[in-house]
Parts: sequence; C-alpha cells; structure tokens
Amino acid sequence: MEQAFKYIGAKRRTKEAPRFLTGSGRFVADIHLPGMKHVAIVASPHPSARIISINTEAARAMPGVRYILDGEEFCAHTDTLYVGVDAPKLKRYALARDVVRYSGEWVVAVVADSRAQAEDAAELVEVEYQATPHVIDPELSLRDDAPLIHPEHGSNQLYHRKFVWGPVEAAFREAEERVSFRVTWGRSSTVPIETFGVLAQWHEADQLLDVWASIQMPKYPDQLARALRLPGNAVRVHYDVDVGGSFGLKRGIKHTVLVSYLARKVGAPVRFIEDRLENMRGGDMHGPDRFFDVEVAFNRDGIIKGLRIRAVDDVGAYAGRSPLQLGKPVSAICGPYQIHAIEYEPTSVMTNKTPQEAVRGFGQAPTNLALERTMDHVARHLGMDPIELRRKNFIRKDQFPYLIPSGSTYDSGDYHTVLDKALAAIDYPELLRQRDSLRAAGALAGIGISTCLEPSGGNSAFEPLFNAKNDTTTWMDSCLVRVDLSGAITGVMGTSSAGQGHETLVATVLGEVLEREPDKIRVVHADSLNALPSNSPVGSRMAIMLGGAAAGAARKLKATLIRLAAHNLGCAIDDIEYADGNTSVRGNPERGLSWDKLVEIAHRKFHLLPPEMEPGLQASFVWEVPTGGGLPTEDGRIQIYPCYSFEAHVLLIKIDADTGRPKILKYLCGHDCGVMINPDVVHGMTYGGIAHGIGAALYEKFAYTEEGELASGTLMDYLIPSSMEVPELHIVDHCTPSPLTTFGQKGSGESGYLGSAAAICNAVNDALAPRGKSIETLPMSNLAIWNTLHATLSATR
Amino acid sequence: MKAAPFEYVRAESLDHACQMLVQHGDEAKLIAGGQSLVPMLAMRLLAPAWLVDIHGLSELQQIAIAEDQLVIGAAVRQCVADADPRLNSAVPLLSRALHWVGHAATRNRGTVGGSLAHADPSAELALSAALLEATLTLRSERGSRQVAAGDFLIGPMMTCLEADECLLEVRFPIWQEARTGSAFEEISARHGDFAIVSAAAQVGVDQTGRCTRAALAIGGAGPSALAFNDLARRLVGTRLEDGLLRDLAQQVAAKVEPTSDLQASAAYRHHLAGVLAERALLGAKRDAGLSS
Repeated sequence: MEQAFKYIGAKRRTKEAPRFLTGSGRFVADIHLPGMKHVAIVASPHPSARIISINTEAARAMPGVRYILDGEEFCAHTDTLYVGVDAPKLKRYALARDVVRYSGEWVVAVVADSRAQAEDAAELVEVEYQATPHVIDPELSLRDDAPLIHPEHGSNQLYHRKFVWGPVEAAFREAEERVSFRVTWGRSSTVPIETFGVLAQWHEADQLLDVWASIQMPKYPDQLARALRLPGNAVRVHYDVDVGGSFGLKRGIKHTVLVSYLARKVGAPVRFIEDRLENMRGGDMHGPDRFFDVEVAFNRDGIIKGLRIRAVDDVGAYAGRSPLQLGKPVSAICGPYQIHAIEYEPTSVMTNKTPQEAVRGFGQAPTNLALERTMDHVARHLGMDPIELRRKNFIRKDQFPYLIPSGSTYDSGDYHTVLDKALAAIDYPELLRQRDSLRAAGALAGIGISTCLEPSGGNSAFEPLFNAKNDTTTWMDSCLVRVDLSGAITGVMGTSSAGQGHETLVATVLGEVLEREPDKIRVVHADSLNALPSNSPVGSRMAIMLGGAAAGAARKLKATLIRLAAHNLGCAIDDIEYADGNTSVRGNPERGLSWDKLVEIAHRKFHLLPPEMEPGLQASFVWEVPTGGGLPTEDGRIQIYPCYSFEAHVLLIKIDADTGRPKILKYLCGHDCGVMINPDVVHGMTYGGIAHGIGAALYEKFAYTEEGELASGTLMDYLIPSSMEVPELHIVDHCTPSPLTTFGQKGSGESGYLGSAAAICNAVNDALAPRGKSIETLPMSNLAIWNTLHATLSATR
Repeated sequence: MKAAPFEYVRAESLDHACQMLVQHGDEAKLIAGGQSLVPMLAMRLLAPAWLVDIHGLSELQQIAIAEDQLVIGAAVRQCVADADPRLNSAVPLLSRALHWVGHAATRNRGTVGGSLAHADPSAELALSAALLEATLTLRSERGSRQVAAGDFLIGPMMTCLEADECLLEVRFPIWQEARTGSAFEEISARHGDFAIVSAAAQVGVDQTGRCTRAALAIGGAGPSALAFNDLARRLVGTRLEDGLLRDLAQQVAAKVEPTSDLQASAAYRHHLAGVLAERALLGAKRDAGLSS
C-alpha cells in the first residue's frame, strides 16, 4: 500500500497534550455536585469466614453519617454481576453476604458527608466473623480436599478445556527432541495513578441515573442497568470524564452498582473514590496469576513440530471476564511461529484472593512469556543461537495471510525484517562483545530476545469459544461526524478514553479523509444515551475500530458534499474534484463550490439540496470488526482478532552476583503495528508498555501470606519501577500495513508489554546460564535471583 | 486514607512546643516534614489527638560548625542539608547517605531530625548517626540532655525520647585525621525504597597511609542501625589491607540478626551485610586515597 497520507503518520502534537500538560484534565475527582456524599468501606480481614453478626449502632451515631449498607440489604435489591463463563450458580455482588471469600472483600459501606467522616464511622462498625478454611495456592485449590470457595458451584475450577489443534500426538511421536518446563507469571497488574472512582446521581422525577466514572469497560451501562433492575435508558454514563490510566482494568462495575444503589437510597449524589488500600485489596484489579506447563517437540534442525501448553490461571475469589484472559491468547497461540500441532489446556481456578481483572493484553503477555521461554529452551537444548532458531520458525512474509491451527488468520507481517532491524539498531555484534567482556570481568551478564505478537482489533470471539451459551459475534464501534453552520467539524465517539489519545485519532482520521486541518476538529465523548454503539477501548482495537468508523463516517460525509456539489454545479458526481474540502468541476477549476458554500447549502438552503438528501451535514458509521462474525467450530477453532502487530525486543542485562540485583544496560524494541496514525501516541504506549513489562518481570507482585493476607497492598510493597529502574528505551519502527483496515493500521495499545517481560526473563536466564541455573518465575526480584544463585553456590561447593 | 480527627497547632517557639507536649503527653505528636508521619496518619496507624508543628521554629533550623562537630537542627529539611557545602566538606558521609534517603520530592519536605526520631531500622540518617557516634540534644520543660546515637535508637521505630521531649539538634563529629574517607552502600528493592541492607564506613589514615581511626555500621539487619566501631578499631595501625577489610566485614555479618520480610529473607540480609560491609570498607579506603 503505497498511499501518501497528509496527516496520518505525521509527527504532530496530540490533541490531548495541552489539556493534560497544563493540569486541565477533568477526572472523576474534579466533579463536585451540590450535596454530594462520600463512601468508605469496611473490608474483611479474613480470606474466608462466615459473617456472624454486623453491629452498626456506634457507627450510625457518628457525625455526618447518612447510611450504612450491608450485603443482606444490597444483595436483596440488586442482581448478581456478569460472569464470563458458564457458571450460573456463581454469584457476585459488591458487598459480601453471609460469607467472605477473600481478605479485603467489601462487607459494609458507610455513607457520610465527607470521606473522613465515613472512615471515622467505618472504624466503629463491628463485624463478627468465624474464620473458615481458605486456599491460596491454585494447585491446592484444584484438589478434591480443597475448601470450596463457592460451594454451590461445586468446584473451585471455573473453566477447563483441552483443545487439540492439528496432529499433536504424531508430532510428539515423530519429533527428534523434546523439552518440558514450567514457567510462572506472577500476580501483577497495572496500577494507574488514579484509582477507580465513580459518582452517581439518581433523579427521582426523571427516573434516571447519571454516572461519572473512570471507566474502561465494554457493556458497562447495560450491565449496570441490569444489576440495578433498571431499563437501559434509565442509566446515563458520561463518557466525557478523563480516566487517569487504566490499561484494561478500570472495570469498576461492582463499585458503580454499589454507589448507584446508595445514591438512590440516600437521595443525594454519592461519590466513591477508592483509596490505594481499597484499590489494591478490594478493588478487584489484580492481573493474571498463571503458570504454564509446556512441552515442546522439535527436530535437531530447530524446527518446532508440536507444542503442548497447560495453563492454570488463578482468578481469585470471584470472576467477571477474567477467565476469558485464557481465551484471547488462542488468537496467537503459536506466536509468530509456524507450529502446526498445538494442544492447549486452559484451566481457570478460584482461590481466596482478590479477584482478577483485565490487564493490558488480556492474557497475551503471560502466554508470550511461555512461548518465548519455549524458544530459548529449545535453542539451549540444541546449542543453537536463539535468533537463528526464531528465524527458522518464523512465518515468512510471503505466507500471509497465514492460518494458524487454532483458527485465526494472521493478516500480515514481516518478522524477519523487523528482527533484523532491531538487531542492526542495537548493534548486536557489539552487544555480544559487551556481554562477553562483562563475563570475562567476572560479572553475570545476559542478552534477552523476544519476538511476540499483539493481536489487535479486539472482538470478543473468545466468549463463544469459552461459553457455548454465548453466541455474541458483534463487537462493533462507531463514530458520528457533524459539520456545523460555521463549517467546523466535530467528531463524536461513544466511549471514554484512558489516555490512549482517541481525540487525536479521530481528528487525524477525519482530517485525512475530509482533507481538513485536524487541529481545528473537535472530538467529544457522548454520554451513553446519546452514543452510537461502542465496545470501549479494549483489545487494542481503537486505531482499527474507532479509526475505521471515523473514516467510514467521514467518507459518507465527503460523498454527501460531492453529491451536493454535483447537483448544484450541474455535473455528474464523477466529474467533481474534491480538494481540501472544496469542490470543482474536473477540468474547469473556476466552476466550483467551496467548503463554506457547501456547508451553507446543507444547513440553510433546502431548495438547493438534491432530492432525498437530509438537510444538515452529518454522517455516522458503525463498523463490525473485520473478519468478525463467526462462531467456533466443534474442535474450538475460530477467527479471533483480525490484525497482528509484531514486536522484537533485545536487551542486555547485568546481574550483581553478590546481591542478585539486575540492571538493564541496553534496551531496544523493533515494532511493526502497520500504519501509525500518530507516531507519538504509538511510541508513548510502547515506552509505557515496556516499563510495565519491566515491572512484571522484576518487581511487581501481589504476594499473599500463608494466612491469606495480601502482603503487598501498598505502593511500598507492590513495587512499580520508577524512572530510576527503567533504562533508556529505544524503538525502531517498521510498517507492514494490514490489508484489513482503512489505512493499513493495526493495534498498538498493548505494545511493549507483550514482549518485554519475556525478553527480560530470557536475558536473566542467559546471565545465569554460565552458572548452570535458570529462573522461571516472575517477578525475578533481587531476592529470587540471589536465591537461585545461592542454590548454585551451595551445589557447587 | 483520611486521618482520624486531630487538633493542629503551629508551635510559636520551642518552649511552646515543649509546653504542648507536657500538656498533652502521649496524645500529642510532633510534626515537621511529615514524610513518615502523614502516611501513618492517613492509614490510621497513628491517631494522635494533637499535632504540634515545629517546622517553622528557627531554633531547629540552623546548620553550624562548632569546633569539631557539625550541628544540624532537627527541623532542617534534608534537601537543605544536602545543599549545604559544609556538609560535604565536614562530614562527607552525610552527603553520600542523603542521596539514598527517599526521593528528591520526599527530601524536599523531610527533615533530618524527623528521620532520626522516626527510627526506622533501615534509615540512612540513623545509620550515619550510629556510625559516627553522633550526639543528640533532647529538650523538654525539664531541661536539656545529650544522648549518644546508640542510646537514642533503641529499637524499630523506638527512641529514648520521653513523651514530653523534643529533638533539638544532632551533632556529628568532624574527624580530624590527616585523611578521611567514607562510603555508603545500600541495596533496596528500588532506588529510594527503604534499604534491605545498608552499610556505611569511615576510615582515617595518616600521611603514611596507616589507619588511625575506623568506623563501620550496618542498617536494615537488626532492630536498629548497628555500629561495630569496637570491631572496626582493630583496623587502627594497619594499612587497611583488603583481606583485613573482608575479614572484618565477615565478622560483622556474623553478628547481625536480621529478620525476614517480603523483599528479603534473613539469610539474604545476612549475606548482604557481609557484601555491603566489605564494599563500604573498600570504598572508604579508596576515598581516603589508598588503592586496593
């Protein structure tokens, strides 16, 4: 696609930058309604217990207290939240009733005039518990003798299936070599600066609920209305609220149902903004906590013949969409490699931990870790260069579109070239020399590579794959574009943004199609009653889906303008030339109608409109995900995401053998997400994604004690890498356009994160290899690395 | 994370602050920079009825050199101390230690005295005070008294301060050796976190390179910062040969009694104590102009 763009791909300041850089964002905490009340939570100190009694007498007597709500009342008047798999007996509410299932679970909500008063009163709520046996370890939880988290469900296993795609048994029988290992992705997450916040106001006369929330969630208004037993049009979610970071997990549906119920009950606007403790302990925002048992069959030439992956994911005590984070990776289960026989056995298990929520990549980053550890294990087994091994197994550029065994077709790619560019940019031979000279000087040093995919364009085809009762195949997004009487353009999107730069995206695309300056285009977020259908910015989809919808709407608008011009200039539509919004008759540039004239006709001069043309000037476009719409086959094959971005990470790490402390010395990421709409937005997300992966690889973990307590419930214990830990990052771009999208764009919302933890794990293992040790569990903390080395020392002495 | 209700009073003078302490006893808490206290209030780990703000008191703000001591007022902000050239010339170890204290943002508010009075076992300033055998001046309506750092720091988050006492200043000895070298070593989970283990060393040598004075202390590996200056004294008279330093480090490592937590096991801390003690001693030696 050798198409020249005017605005797309140009390095232009984002539309959002002035607002955020001058501190002019409007977040939930910035919205103040008269008479607004505040909520504090009483949380369970037990991982598993029966609630014997709740005494709120002293709390009720405190100043400013307006209402105290327990699970008994709340569960009687609201409906259970959505569960993503077929588990009809699994109930989930914002407040516990009768039993608590994790330490930090919300038991009582206190409403008061100020948050401080609510906390004062919450301290005086007396809850009597009777502790019951708990289980924290997912493998123990799967055993028959484990205490049941939800006895009515009958088991702690929430989902299990064994998929077999291709001749797996034959591959393992015939292959010359095999390797097996276990690798574990620690319980980390994204931890945005802004915790989840929501403000709700009930208008009794209108029977209407207004909601402002820091939300990033598909079907949020629908689920909210359902849980509150309201019609969908009684809920109005305001999407014009800035969201202070989300990366997938701002799914505060339980918070919102609770606050909405309270707002109605109290008869005043009610706001709840989690503090960090509530967020990390009871905000249900932990990420995948997953181990993989991998077995790989291959020949001595390095060609992978078959792969068996058993994945066990600990979703915690309740589940919404979290089990589906085992489903999305089916979309790229063989990574960028030609592997024709794959067995995949995902198991979703519940434990007495804080529930899991969607995190950047929706399960793909852990899966990529398993795949990339596989490649390095095979290379080490064969004594082969890990780069050479990857090159041998890569899908080649000339093989696209490429159907993988699990049913998805990859749209396009050029993995060999991107890896080559990355290696050239970091000067790989020099990197090897540096590693070897560090080693010669007695240091531990390693190089790590990962080559990973980012499935993008998010539909939710893993929903029917994981739940036969769910036949959802529509996952559209949309855009409305209107031109006002002054000729100014406004794009309307139907969801909120969490820092992904959607206003820049829509303005750039509208500007590109209509040939108008994007800086002058306004982009607004409709509320949910005004909005065209959207599935929110999940699954790395908005460049593709919102970009495509904006382009579709703009093209309709442009067609209208051309029709209008042809009608008034008395020529055929095909004779109209369109440039910068102005029209003229081909070959006769003096005969034309300017943008302003066309706008005026459309808005004011019905007598000049062609027959059947609607007055005014606007167009909308609703777009289904390209390649979407299918249901899975019996053996579980389905096209999931349409587009596949690629990233190749290369880094050099040094480990202080005496302290176990790792230090990343050089880092480079080769990245191909097709046509970039705005390079700054893409690079920003990639930098952040790499930093996030550094956290998952080396620092971040929601650790639990044997007693079932969250041991890292503050930012002093849950260690997010700072600017001191994140090294200088370099990105090299490559562009393989997608044939499926409007401009050739692919997704990049999860870029960086999907391969960085895997690359770092490979680098640490390369550094430890001369000592004959390996580490297969994230995060690889100073302590974990030192323990690994220490075991080596005692073994060799 | 909102503090429980409390009364706030800005002390008009040191005497006023001491009066408030007498009046409210255990119910009152002094606040200066608030970098440790405010989070504890917010998490309701503490709920004092009174906060007495001493930060504005000029009596607590001075930095001075008095003969062979560097005197730092208790409410001197860490960033102010760090920027004072006298620190680096008189007690360079303090400059090195301050760079490990939190982050620039917390150093902008946090005070020298606040860190000492908070007495976190892994705090860098407490370690420096223990190492250099600093003297702390405590004031109350009953009068003033001076205590050695080793007696001031009595356990994790525990000092010998009585409920009516206020830390006035801390006096760090300025070594008068021909040449003095110091080093500060630390391992933390991330830069700016509390130390998993830290070690500080200072040595003095004469013109011929013979050791005339030596001090070594370990943080994060016991209930409070631990000075091992008695053991370090064995280095006096030697030429600080690397083997001697290693032996001393190992002896010290054998004496610490660390505990386990999320970031570090006791075994890891034991090991780090030896590694960092040796690095600190070697660093101090190099800083004093001797080569390894």
